[in-house]
Amino acid sequence: MQIISTFEHSTYLELAITAIEQLGVQKSDILAVPLVNRAQERRLFDSLHRADGISLFDKGAAIGTAFAVIGASIGFQLEWGPIYWGLIGGAVGFVIGFLIDYFINKVIHRRQRVLKGKHSEVVLVINCSNELAEKVEQLLWEHLALGVAKLED
Amino acid sequence: MRNFTNDNTVRRYKAHVSLVGTTQLHLRNPYIIAWWSAAFPGFGHLLLSKYLRGYALILWELLVNNMAHLNYGIIYTFTGNFKMAKEVLEPRWLLLYLPVYIFGIWDSYRTAVDMNKVFILAERENANFNSYVIGAVEVNYLDKRRPTMAVFWSFLTPGLGQLYIHRVITAIFMVSSMIVFVYFSNVLVAVQFLFMGEISKATEVLNPQWFLFIPSQIGFGVYDAYINTVENNKLYDSEQRTFLRKNYNQYRIKIPTSDEV
Repeated sequence: MQIISTFEHSTYLELAITAIEQLGVQKSDILAVPLVNRAQERRLFDSLHRADGISLFDKGAAIGTAFAVIGASIGFQLEWGPIYWGLIGGAVGFVIGFLIDYFINKVIHRRQRVLKGKHSEVVLVINCSNELAEKVEQLLWEHLALGVAKLED
Repeated sequence: MRNFTNDNTVRRYKAHVSLVGTTQLHLRNPYIIAWWSAAFPGFGHLLLSKYLRGYALILWELLVNNMAHLNYGIIYTFTGNFKMAKEVLEPRWLLLYLPVYIFGIWDSYRTAVDMNKVFILAERENANFNSYVIGAVEVNYLDKRRPTMAVFWSFLTPGLGQLYIHRVITAIFMVSSMIVFVYFSNVLVAVQFLFMGEISKATEVLNPQWFLFIPSQIGFGVYDAYINTVENNKLYDSEQRTFLRKNYNQYRIKIPTSDEV
């Protein structure tokens, strides 16, 4: 019996593999294939599960900090004072930097569009006896497999 | 105790997990690094994980800026009060500022360019590196963490996001310097006045020289925590891919054909 499942990269994947090994499945009966995922559309912010390295955060943080310093300086002369103007400057600068990056990434360098949501990053195949199959399947689901399928011999 | 012993066969490592921090190489935009060095000498180097010179440059900046009254000069200049700016700047210190300031920008830019090349070579070599360490005072390992939480904590107190991703020394350095900035700038007293709606009193109570460090400190704390959380997560994925390829690629699938059944 072969049980095929897909996972994202996480510690759960290694927990699943070791739990299945403790059931008595040999290491040589476990196949884990990390996939090379298709280049993704630039997203606005990186999340726990994926990141493309070119984030739209760079210029926002840089210009935001600059404007916060300028806003705080000029704020000493203005009615609302340096704290409010520092915060306003920071927010305005962040939005400006963000819009510049957004424009460059979304309008000038448009990438291929792909499905949103969770991505299968690893395919895990377990070869085990029919008796163990149910337990293995259960373990896979418990450790957040994205999908599980069984192939009868 | 570590899970890796160096046998001197590796030419370049791309990361190292130690008791007090996770250090890694990754691609950086040299202009962004140079920009952070311009915002505050030392910040660019911290982003490059060149921590010692980063801390040294930050301490240098604090000393020379405070002695030269540079932040006062900046405030008076931005508000168009050039006469006051000229008066407040301290000539015994002011010119000391320039060479080191420009060196910080130049050196962090050039290092970023170099380290990008080193990273590409290390990535191609894809050598094993230490990814787990447990000792008397700390435990550190690769893990996935949330960039939004790193931003949130560093926004509240710069350094907490760094603590979240286990950069212990930088976290302690940033939290400590924040205490100094907050205390000498009176910013919390000013915030209290703002809550009571007394804006002019809040402005009066602030110490401009020390207050002007705070926006840079928060901006950098947020950016550094965010970018390193994202890169940490990528490192985790890459390490796990290498591990799986090495340990779980023996078995070959046999899809049963109908005549076999």
